[in-house]
Amino acid sequence: MLVASKGVLVQCDPSIKALIIQIDSQSPGIILEELDDTHLLIQQDKVEIVKNELNKLLSKNIYDPFEDDSRM
Amino acid sequence: MSIRSTEPVNYREVDDENFSDEDDDIDKDFNIGNKRKNQGNTNDNQKKRKAIEAMETLKLDLKDENLSDEDLIELTPDIPKDYIPDAVSKNFGKSDFSYLKLKPDHFSRPIWISPSDLRIILESFSPLAEQAQDFLITIAEPISRPSHIHEYRITAYSLYAAVSVGLETDDIISVLNRLSKVPVAESIVNFIKAATVSYGKVKLVLKHNRYFVESTQADILQMLLKDEVIGPLRVLENGESKNLTESAAPLNDINIPGTKKPEESKEKTETEDIFASVVGNKDEDDDLDIVHSFEISHESVEIVKRRCQEIDYPVLEEYDFRNDARNVDLEIDLKPSTQIRPYQEKSLSKMFGNGRARSGIIVLPCGAGKTLVGITAACTIRKSVIVLCTSSVSVMQWRQQFLQWCTIQPESVALFTSENKEMFATEAGLVVSTYSMVANTRNRSHDSQKVMDFLKSREWGFIILDEVHVVPANMFRRVVTTIAAHAKLGLTATLVREDDKIDDLNFLIGPKLYEANWMDLAQKGHIANVQCAEVWCPMTSEFYQEYLRESARKRMLLYIMNPTKFQACQFLIHYHEKRGDKIIVFSDNVYALQEYALKLGKPFIYGSTPQQERMKILQNFQHNDQINTIFLSKVGDTSIDLPEATCLIQISSHYGSRRQEAQRLGRILRAKRRNDEGFNAFFYSLVSKDTQEMYYSTKRQAFLVDQGYAFKVITHLSGMEQLPDLAYASPKERRELLQQVLLKNEDAAGLEVGDDIDTNFISKEKRAKLEESQASRTAGSLAGLAGGEDMAYIEYSKNKNKELKDSHHPLIKKMYYRQKNKEKKALNK
Repeated sequence: MLVASKGVLVQCDPSIKALIIQIDSQSPGIILEELDDTHLLIQQDKVEIVKNELNKLLSKNIYDPFEDDSRM
Repeated sequence: MSIRSTEPVNYREVDDENFSDEDDDIDKDFNIGNKRKNQGNTNDNQKKRKAIEAMETLKLDLKDENLSDEDLIELTPDIPKDYIPDAVSKNFGKSDFSYLKLKPDHFSRPIWISPSDLRIILESFSPLAEQAQDFLITIAEPISRPSHIHEYRITAYSLYAAVSVGLETDDIISVLNRLSKVPVAESIVNFIKAATVSYGKVKLVLKHNRYFVESTQADILQMLLKDEVIGPLRVLENGESKNLTESAAPLNDINIPGTKKPEESKEKTETEDIFASVVGNKDEDDDLDIVHSFEISHESVEIVKRRCQEIDYPVLEEYDFRNDARNVDLEIDLKPSTQIRPYQEKSLSKMFGNGRARSGIIVLPCGAGKTLVGITAACTIRKSVIVLCTSSVSVMQWRQQFLQWCTIQPESVALFTSENKEMFATEAGLVVSTYSMVANTRNRSHDSQKVMDFLKSREWGFIILDEVHVVPANMFRRVVTTIAAHAKLGLTATLVREDDKIDDLNFLIGPKLYEANWMDLAQKGHIANVQCAEVWCPMTSEFYQEYLRESARKRMLLYIMNPTKFQACQFLIHYHEKRGDKIIVFSDNVYALQEYALKLGKPFIYGSTPQQERMKILQNFQHNDQINTIFLSKVGDTSIDLPEATCLIQISSHYGSRRQEAQRLGRILRAKRRNDEGFNAFFYSLVSKDTQEMYYSTKRQAFLVDQGYAFKVITHLSGMEQLPDLAYASPKERRELLQQVLLKNEDAAGLEVGDDIDTNFISKEKRAKLEESQASRTAGSLAGLAGGEDMAYIEYSKNKNKELKDSHHPLIKKMYYRQKNKEKKALNK
C-alpha cells in the first residue's frame, strides 16, 4: 500500500543536519527521512521545536563579551 | 497516514471550541475578582484580551517611566531641575544624558565623557585627536581603539598613574573640559578630585639604602603615623620606645612625632630636590616644597604599601639613582649606533619624568622593541640590574640583546638558570634569570642556593620583569619581596589575563606608565601591517556526528582534525607559497601538528624536538628557498624569532587565551619586509564551524579587535576544490582519518608540556600528571598485525625533518653558517 506523509523539507549544512539528528535521537519522531548530506524531511508540527533546540545548541558556540567569565 | 495527518487538525478545531466555551466562565470569574463592570460582552474574547493586554502594557510603561526618572535624579544629582525628559528618553533609562547641553563649538571638540561610568569616547578623526590621545593615555585606560572612534575609561588606577607622572588635579579637569563636547559633569569632577587628592601624596623613597615614607603634607604623615598598622612600623633612631611615639603622635605637631630623624632627612631632601629640579625640570613646584618623612624598615615595606593602599593613600615609589652613592655604578651605556624610536623614548620619559626612576609597567606590542626599552632604562639608571623572564630561551635572548645594544662587558653579565649558575665577578653587574628560578622555594642544589643567597644579599638598582602578565600573583610577590630592588619595570604586550589578577600588578609593581597604540605603530612602519582573517571550515557530517557524541576533550581533537580544515590549511599554504610568503603554521595540539606536517611534507618543531634539529630547521626556513613553511607548536609562541615569516596560519590554540592570540600575531609583526611598499602580513585562524572553537575564537580575538584589528570572516575559499592532490578529498580517506582520530587516546588532545609560560608556572604535581603518558591497549588479531588482513606497510607521510640534512663540506658549512649567523645577528632586532 502506498503511504504518503506530509513533512517539511529542511536544507542545511551537514553539521546542522547532524545536530538535528541528535535532537531526533533524544526525542524521536522528528525526522521522517534523511535525504542526503544537506537535506532532511521533518515532521511539520515539530519545526518550532527543532528551531528552538538548534538555537539553544548553537548559542553555546557564540561568544558574548557581555557575559564573559561564566565559562573557560 | 493521510487520516493521521488530518486528525491533529480536527483536534485543534475541537480544542479551540472547547477553549472558547470555557473561556466565558473563566472570564466571568476573572472579572468578578477584579470588580470590573463590563461583564456584558464576553462573547468577543479576542477584543477583550487585547484590551487587557493594552492596559497591562500601559501600566508597565507608566511604571517604567516613573522608575527611570527617579533613577536619573538619584544617579546624577547635577541634572537640572527644569529638565523634562522627552518622548524617547525613557528608552535610554539610566543612560539618558540628553540634559547635557552641547557646547556651541562642539564639532571641533573631540571627546564625550559618560557621567555615569566615566567612559570617554574620542573621535579619532578629529584634528585634535592626536594631542587628545596623548593626554587620555595618561589619565585613562584605553579600552578599544579601532580606526575611527576610540574608547577610554577613567579609573582610580589610571588617575593614580597620571598623578605619578606629575599631572595636577585641576589641570586634568580643565583639559578634559577643553576637549569635551559638553561641560564636564559634576560627578566626573568629583571622582577625579576624590581619586587624585590622596593619590601620589605619599612617596616611598629608598635613600642610602633606607626606606622613607615621604610627603609634602605634614598632616598626611600625621595621619599615617596614627594608623594602627603603619604607626608601630616606624623606625626610630634614638631608641625611644614605641609607646612614647604613639602617645606623642596625637599632639598634632610635626616636630614631636618626627623626632630628629625627619628633620635630618628634610634637609637632605631639600638639597637633593634642588639638584633634581635642575636636572629633571618638570616638577619644580612639587619638589621645592618642604618634604616630611619618616623611616620604615625593609621588612615592613610591603605591609606599609598594602596598608596605604587600603586607606586610599597609595605610595609612589621613586628611586633617586643619581644620588645613590652606596651602590656601585655599572659601566653600561647604549652603543652610539643604537637608535631609540620615538614611542620608546616617550615611554621612558614617563618613567624618568623628574630625574628619578618610577616603578611601573610599560605596554608595547610584540616586536616593537620592549627589550630595548628595558635596556635603555638600565643604561639610564646605571646600577646593578636583574632581569627576570619566563623561559630559559628568553634568558639567552636578553643576554644577547644586552651585549648587542650596549657597552656592557660580557664578564659582568651573569645567567642564573638551571644549567648556568655563574655569577659576575665585578662589583656591579647584570643578572638574567627566570621567575621560576628565583621564586622556587623547594630544595635547591648547593650551587643555586649560593647564587640565591648572593641575589638576596645585594641591593639591586633596577629590576626588569619581562612578560609581567603571565606570572601568578603569589610567585610575583615572592620575587618582589626576596629581591631588594630600587626601581621596578614591568614589560608586556598584552596586559590582559583570563583571570582578574591584573589589578594586583598595580600594587606589586606600579601603575601602567605607557601603552602604545598598535594601529599607530603599524601606520608609522614600526610594526607590520597585518590582514587578519578567520576561516570557517564546515565540519564534515561524519566528523560532526562523532563530535556530538564525544567527551569534551575528544571533541577538541575532532574539530582540529576536521578534514575541511586540513584542506583549507593545505590550500592556504599552497596559495601563499606561490606568492613567495614564508609561512608559519601554529598548532597547540602536538598530535595534530604531526599529522598535518607529515601529511603535507613540511618540517615541524615541537617541545621534544632536539635543539640541533630545531636549529637546522629554523636555518633552513630562513635561508632555504625550498623550505617555505614550518609547523610550530606553542614553543614558537614566544621564544622563536623569525623575522622572515610573513604569513601565519593557526590551526589549534589554547582555548580562549587572548594573550596567545596577540603573541602569535606578534610573530609576524616584526616581519623584515614590513617597510616594502604595500606589504601586508597575513594572519589566518582556521575554525571548525558550529563547534566550541567558534566560541573560543571570538573570545581570543577580543584583545586584537580592541587594538583596532579587523578580522575578516572567510566562509569559503574559492578554488579550494580544484587544488591538485587535495588531501582527504574522497569520503574513504575521510572515514579513515576519522577512525584514526577516534582510536586516539584522550591524552592526545591534551596540551604540550614544555619550557614555556603556560607550563612553567603550574604546580609540580600538575605538571607531572601532564607529562606522564599512558599506554593504550587495543585489540587486534595476530593476522592483522602481521599484515594478513589486507594491510601493507608503506610509509606515506615522510618526515621532512629528516630530509633536511646539510650536505655541504664541513669546512664550507662552517664558513657559510658563520657568515649567515653574523647576518642574522645584524638583522635580529
